[in-house]
Amino acid sequence: MQKTYKFYIRGMHCKSCELMTESELKEFPFITNVKARLRSNLVEISGDFGDNSPENIAKQLNTVLIKHRYSLSVEKIPQEKKQDDVIWKAIPIGLGFIILFFMLQKSSILNIGIGGQTTPVTSFIIGLIASVSGCLAIVGGLVLSLSAKVSQDNTSDTRTFLLFHAGRLVSFAVLGGVLGIIGGAIGINFAFTAILGIFASLVMLFLGLNLVGIFSKNKITLHSGFFNFFKRIEHKTFTPLIIGFGTFFLPCGFTQSMQLVALSSGSFMSGAFIMFAFALGTLPMLVLLSFGSASFAHSKHAPLFFKSAGIVVIGFGIFSLLAGLAGLGIINPLFNI
Amino acid sequence: MNKTFSIIITLALVVGIGIIFLGGSKSKNNTNTTTSETAQNIEIKGGIQYITINAKGGYSPQVTTAKAGIPTKLIVKTKGTYDCSASLVIRSIGFQKILAQTGEEVVDIGTPKAGTFKGTCGMGMYFFEIDFKN
Repeated sequence: MQKTYKFYIRGMHCKSCELMTESELKEFPFITNVKARLRSNLVEISGDFGDNSPENIAKQLNTVLIKHRYSLSVEKIPQEKKQDDVIWKAIPIGLGFIILFFMLQKSSILNIGIGGQTTPVTSFIIGLIASVSGCLAIVGGLVLSLSAKVSQDNTSDTRTFLLFHAGRLVSFAVLGGVLGIIGGAIGINFAFTAILGIFASLVMLFLGLNLVGIFSKNKITLHSGFFNFFKRIEHKTFTPLIIGFGTFFLPCGFTQSMQLVALSSGSFMSGAFIMFAFALGTLPMLVLLSFGSASFAHSKHAPLFFKSAGIVVIGFGIFSLLAGLAGLGIINPLFNI
Repeated sequence: MNKTFSIIITLALVVGIGIIFLGGSKSKNNTNTTTSETAQNIEIKGGIQYITINAKGGYSPQVTTAKAGIPTKLIVKTKGTYDCSASLVIRSIGFQKILAQTGEEVVDIGTPKAGTFKGTCGMGMYFFEIDFKN
């Protein structure tokens, strides 16, 4: 006998999740029609369920939805109130991290003098320093925001992160080698890196606001535009590779100094070694950020983590945006960090 | 109650950030504009005014007061500098260069008129000012 039930769904947060939910549920032979609605968080299911009670049906359907971290229920589960409390915990946590970061920059313990010839060993050490320096605001902020977003949407995040880090190491080595061959013939374009930096900070602001949940009320309009595009590309193999490659050009004084060393190194191998060692030095911090956010995202503290990360990313995004505009001479420099 | 507590902490943290950004740089200005330091980094030799700025983890002195109307050269000293301050940008004269890790870069800034002359690093994280006075 055909019947239609309505269930409330939790955890569904994007336009394409509707399609995913529908296609997963249609796998059941007794279900004839499924309609998932993001706006109302409702799923309408028609089919022949026999004598099963709605509770039992929800239980059975949840066995396939659980891997996407969605769940069906007969009763609406109130979650608005709980999230309100989370944001009030997330704001001080996020601001606390931002303060720690800028205090570290102010303390000038990072200005360790490294003199003499730049060898792969010293460039590794410089990479370690760079990964906690002001560059963390832009490179780390971008990695954190993208990682948190990928972990939120995607269960196969480990593969994405591995591709990103591999892409970053390989492109630093190859581009360093290329700089070594070309020698003094090219200069690194300041305006280009500054514009790329401003673009990165806008992405961070956008993802940060999204992680905090500012956009959650009108998620449909946003997801259909930028986020559909983002969702489509984040599943592809080349995207994390390209972003890893792109970090070579992000505005970071340390990266640019190392590029200059690679430029004057005179051969492909020495240039490649210097940039590779530098990227290797920055690796521990970036691995911590990406895989750290993945492990938080799969824990029970996930909502708090996403919101705190969002606050940190918004802070870093504002900082990078103002710094980028000052670097381009559009606004007066506001700070000396 | 939990919420009020969080709001109080949040406000405290916001004030903290304000102090780091604004108060911190202000106190730096005050110490650096003391006459002894300013006098030390300016030298007039053969009718040319040389202003020395150290670049490492920022620029120091951050504010320099110098004379306007005489040919001026800027000497930017780096010493094992790998951070942002090595990528020097001076918009007003169209100068941009990633400086060598250790060395001195001499930048000819012509004969400046009275006013404020600004230099930043490529990422815009650090800046210095030279106040030219008649």
